[in-house]
Amino acid sequence: MENIMEVAGLKKSFGKNIAIKDVSFEVKKGEVFGLLGPSGSGKTTTIKILTGELSKTAGKVTVLGMDSSQIGTADFKSKVGILSDNSSLYERLTIYDNLKLFCKLYRAPLQQIDVLLREVNLHEERMKTVSKLSKGMKQRVLLAKALIHKPKLVFLDEPTSALDPGNMAHIHRGLLKLNEAGTTIFLTTHNMEEANSLCDRVAFLHEGEIVELDDPDELRYKHSTHDFHIETYEGERLVIKNTPDNADRIKELIVYNRVKSMQTDKPTLGQVFLKVTGEELV
Amino acid sequence: MNIQRISAIFEKDIKDFMKNMMLLMMPLIPIVLALLYKQMSNGEEFPIYFLYLNVGIAYSSVTSTCMMTMMAEENEKKTLRGLIQSPASMVDILVGKSLVVGLITFVSLTVSLAIIGSDPLLNGKAILALILLFLFFLFLGIGIGLFSKSISATSAYTMPVMLLFGFTPILGSLQLDEDGIIMTITDTFPIMQAIELHEKSSWVPLGIIAGWVLAAALFMYICFKKTMTDD
Ligand SMILES: Nc1ncnc2c1ncn2[C@@H]1O[C@H](COP(=O)(O)OP(=O)(O)OP(=O)(O)O)[C@@H](O)[C@H]1O
Ligand SMILES: [Mg+2]
Repeated sequence: MENIMEVAGLKKSFGKNIAIKDVSFEVKKGEVFGLLGPSGSGKTTTIKILTGELSKTAGKVTVLGMDSSQIGTADFKSKVGILSDNSSLYERLTIYDNLKLFCKLYRAPLQQIDVLLREVNLHEERMKTVSKLSKGMKQRVLLAKALIHKPKLVFLDEPTSALDPGNMAHIHRGLLKLNEAGTTIFLTTHNMEEANSLCDRVAFLHEGEIVELDDPDELRYKHSTHDFHIETYEGERLVIKNTPDNADRIKELIVYNRVKSMQTDKPTLGQVFLKVTGEELV
Repeated sequence: MNIQRISAIFEKDIKDFMKNMMLLMMPLIPIVLALLYKQMSNGEEFPIYFLYLNVGIAYSSVTSTCMMTMMAEENEKKTLRGLIQSPASMVDILVGKSLVVGLITFVSLTVSLAIIGSDPLLNGKAILALILLFLFFLFLGIGIGLFSKSISATSAYTMPVMLLFGFTPILGSLQLDEDGIIMTITDTFPIMQAIELHEKSSWVPLGIIAGWVLAAALFMYICFKKTMTDD
């Protein structure tokens, strides 16, 4: 598949503080790519470099076939959608007026406002002043803002961090629909379930470096111990190593009809992250 | 520069201005002051320096202060980031805002001058001076607005701008020593030069005002370059 984004040997330092040591990855056209890492690992910094908000210290970055000199130009900006971590809206204006501004700046037709407000479940509230909205509602307006010009590539920096589970699920469905329609999504999160259910591939960012990059299922399989987790009818829970010398024991449990359930170990993405980095995601 | 984007910014900022109590107070200041003077004047005509005091108050409290405050708020509330991520350029953003501030200034100045009398200012040279003075205060406001990270930070700059450049004509009425150091320096200030225009037939004062505008433009340009290259 064609690459929509290529990053090679990316490095960024703020004075003496090295935020990104050496990051390389590719994002394929049409995929949902997740950049995962704990607070301070460099997720936002990476997005800012990819969108031209920050300059890089070293490395090569290509986005939508444009190199660093073209990233950040008006032409580039009109082709990508960005939801940044602490961006905000005009508090005194209505939802509609906020979106109208961006509709005009991106030269999108004004009908898009209603289309997107329906998508994010805020059509009824369109004339409400932003200062009267909850955090989750604001986040949904910001998401609508990022998508107003139907970009082919969107950057979402922690898109669901302020949302309750119901809203989160709603946004997830919307993002998957968007992705099915052909939009490439680059997102950051520290929510492992979100990454697991949304992303085609994830990269683990740890202290400015990528320590793992793969399909979430693949990662969970790869880091599995493949131990058997067995629950017996007597209520006993056993963990039996998947080795040839344990075969008789497992066979015996099955033959004597003691096995109520049996699974092989499959760690959650969060557990994989912990194992790889020795660091809890917060 | 892009007309559609400028008009989008203009539309947003004028709506926002109309809903911002703090900013709405500013254009009222020169108007309320003009009404007060009018009350106290018992029908006499106002001296020229007085009209320019009004101009100075309008330009410093409306043009410069509103501009700084609007930009500082965009910085403080992180809304500027959204604009910068969009295809709008910083120039589009600044021009859109300047048009809003220009319109509000125009209304405030016209109303307040209508109250205290605007006749002496209705000639080509004086109007040119008024336009140049507007640009001077606008550029000053933009320059300061570019590096102000919060609204509270701008108040530290509002006072000096008002006192130094807005209220300069008051010095003339304080009966300070004409040849003293303070008067010699402040006499070259933009508003004082506009007053000079009415006392001499020379074009030199206009040239000096134009010099101030250039200096303010340079200041704005330096602030612009600095904020654009900041990480
Ligand atoms: N403008 C800046 N100046 C100096 N240091 C910075 C700047 N921006 C980020 N950093 C540093 O770079 C590192 C990475 O920060 P970044 O914001 O990219 O982390 P993050 O992964 O997005 O974290 P979070 O999950 O909290 O959003 C941190 O150590 C941070 O202190
Ligand atoms: Mg971040």
